[in-house]
Amino acid sequence: MTGAIPSIALVGNPNAGKSSLFNALTGARQKIANYPGVTVERKAGHSSFADGRPISLIDLPGTYSLTPSSLDEAVTRDVILGQREGEKRPDALVVVVDAANLDNHLCFALELLALDLPTVIALNMVDLAERDGLTLDAARLSKELGVPVVPTVAVRKRGLTELLAAVDAAILAHPVRGAAAPAEANDESLHARARTLARAAILQETPVRRWTQRVDNIVLHPVAGLVILLALMFIMFQAVYAAAEAPADFLEGGIGVIQQWVVATFPDNFLRGLVVEGLLAGVGAVVVFLPQILILFLFILLLEASGYMTRAAFLMDGLMGKVGLSGRGFIPLLSSFACAVPGIMATRAIPDEKDRLTTILIAPLMTCSARLPVYALIIAAFIPNQTVGGSPVGLQGLVLFGLYLSGIVGALLVAVVLRRTVAKGAAAGFMMEMPRYQMPRLRDIAIGLWQRAWIFLRRAGTIIAMTTVVLWLLLTFPQAPEGESQVEYSIAGRIASGLEVVVKPIGFNHDIALALIPAMAAREVAVSAMATANAIDAGDDEEAMAQSLGDRLQGKWSIATALAFLAWFVFAPQCISTIAITRRETNGWKWPMFMVGYLFALAYAAAGITYWTAVAFGLG
Amino acid sequence: MTALLDKAPLGVAVRIARINWDAMSHDEGRRLREFGLMEGCEVTPLHRGSIFSRDPLALTIGRMKVIIRARQAAVIEVEPTA
Repeated sequence: MTGAIPSIALVGNPNAGKSSLFNALTGARQKIANYPGVTVERKAGHSSFADGRPISLIDLPGTYSLTPSSLDEAVTRDVILGQREGEKRPDALVVVVDAANLDNHLCFALELLALDLPTVIALNMVDLAERDGLTLDAARLSKELGVPVVPTVAVRKRGLTELLAAVDAAILAHPVRGAAAPAEANDESLHARARTLARAAILQETPVRRWTQRVDNIVLHPVAGLVILLALMFIMFQAVYAAAEAPADFLEGGIGVIQQWVVATFPDNFLRGLVVEGLLAGVGAVVVFLPQILILFLFILLLEASGYMTRAAFLMDGLMGKVGLSGRGFIPLLSSFACAVPGIMATRAIPDEKDRLTTILIAPLMTCSARLPVYALIIAAFIPNQTVGGSPVGLQGLVLFGLYLSGIVGALLVAVVLRRTVAKGAAAGFMMEMPRYQMPRLRDIAIGLWQRAWIFLRRAGTIIAMTTVVLWLLLTFPQAPEGESQVEYSIAGRIASGLEVVVKPIGFNHDIALALIPAMAAREVAVSAMATANAIDAGDDEEAMAQSLGDRLQGKWSIATALAFLAWFVFAPQCISTIAITRRETNGWKWPMFMVGYLFALAYAAAGITYWTAVAFGLG
Repeated sequence: MTALLDKAPLGVAVRIARINWDAMSHDEGRRLREFGLMEGCEVTPLHRGSIFSRDPLALTIGRMKVIIRARQAAVIEVEPTA
């Protein structure tokens, strides 16, 4: 062992708090949330013993035993048994158990102890156990198990020093022996032993607090529960508009001021055009949606941290079951509201292969946050900012809610078809643990929001800025002769004119045709592309420049066209990252190609039907 | 005196008398056992589905709350506790 940095694996049941412990020990910011199956990959990080010797920590997906049911659980088994290619077996295990659920978590702990690796038990979430009226005797448990047991509260960084000291001592006292094969666990005797141990470790047990049960009686009520779920989503989309208006106006005003300053200060040249029309107009048009995206994420983070997510999965299971999926699939789909990429990765926790494939294929239909700027722009421009029939419900928020709902309904319908055709299989099962409720911690929520803001701004600064600059160049050359529209005369304009022929039947104009192709890089680019094209059109006309993009579009588009554009983006052919992750997760090009094909077809049909209907109602 | 878990009244603790393991796949059976659902243990069914269907079933086992399918509950025979 001399010389090599010892590697220590964190292992345990789902939702025992392994990632929280990993974050606390390494300073990393792995995603943590209150539902089983948050971590689907192994993650490594660095830490050190008290005297400064470095150690490597490995965070593993949670599992109930060394026999995996799904892809993420297989990773855990392979790492622990040293069967993962290119990775040595860990030198020690930290088995993370939920102090309030020893009966169950000790089973897996016993199975892991049989491996004969240096092991320390982290008796995690002792604070929650105390809240539930449990007093535990760690010393007694340690004596019974024959390994150190350290009480910890990962999220409050309690017990970390003691834990690492115990690991250090365990490695010294017990160098790794040969690769012990996992003992063939006899379920029943293992459970009996776990129960005996748990009983011995519990010093005092007052009746479980009843309030969590009372909450569940309401939120899991067959009718009231669904009403609450819908209401939560509804409030979320209302809030996206109501609360983001002021900060978004402020950002928009600020960008306008900078633009005018640049125009007034610098001579008219190539570079000024690039900065004003490309970067400021294009990227700026996307950045103003930051407040809306953060409000959406605030809701998602709160739902994830509280433990409500699994309740939502429970409520949705009946509906998901009717389309051949399971409630398990609801969690990846809800994550896809943020972005389809982590959503698709989260499907690794779905045991059934066909169930998983279907969930991957419909994940892009969940309205991801990159689509929010597109929706927000068009809704703000074309849907009047008023309340519905004297109620406090905003019409804009209602339309946004409707768009999200259309995505969900579309996804369910597609699932029905897929499960009867390409992804045929037995009805999916649904077995899941329901986590206890937890009060979301302000710090975790703040970090989560900061991470999302950073990801968004980085996207704006890299892929969105780059695509916009390239588009600006294609829009600026060749220079149009006097009297001709620069946008139509340019290279990009001519390409768009070619595409316009194809999309004209569904009501799309030149603006939209121009935005469609670059929007494949990132959906937000649809907004920046239109902003750039409009800025070039406006030229030096200060009045036109001061006009917001929404106002300009309002003057140029019919309502039917705007609605068709929204419908297109409900089914919008997904971005390149989604295609790439689908290829990786399905091991080939077959399914990503299938996905792109069916989404294009749906988007075209949906936009067309919307346009023709709107025209029939006189909105053309 | 046995009844099936999928028909058992909500909120009343019952003891699992027999599970027909053959009626489910090997993996399903293993996950049930991993949850601790096996002959002799006590469970309390608590919530059943939504208006969409009577599926799934949420129940407590020990200090844990788990969700299983009605189809699985239908092959679990339960009896009143003591």
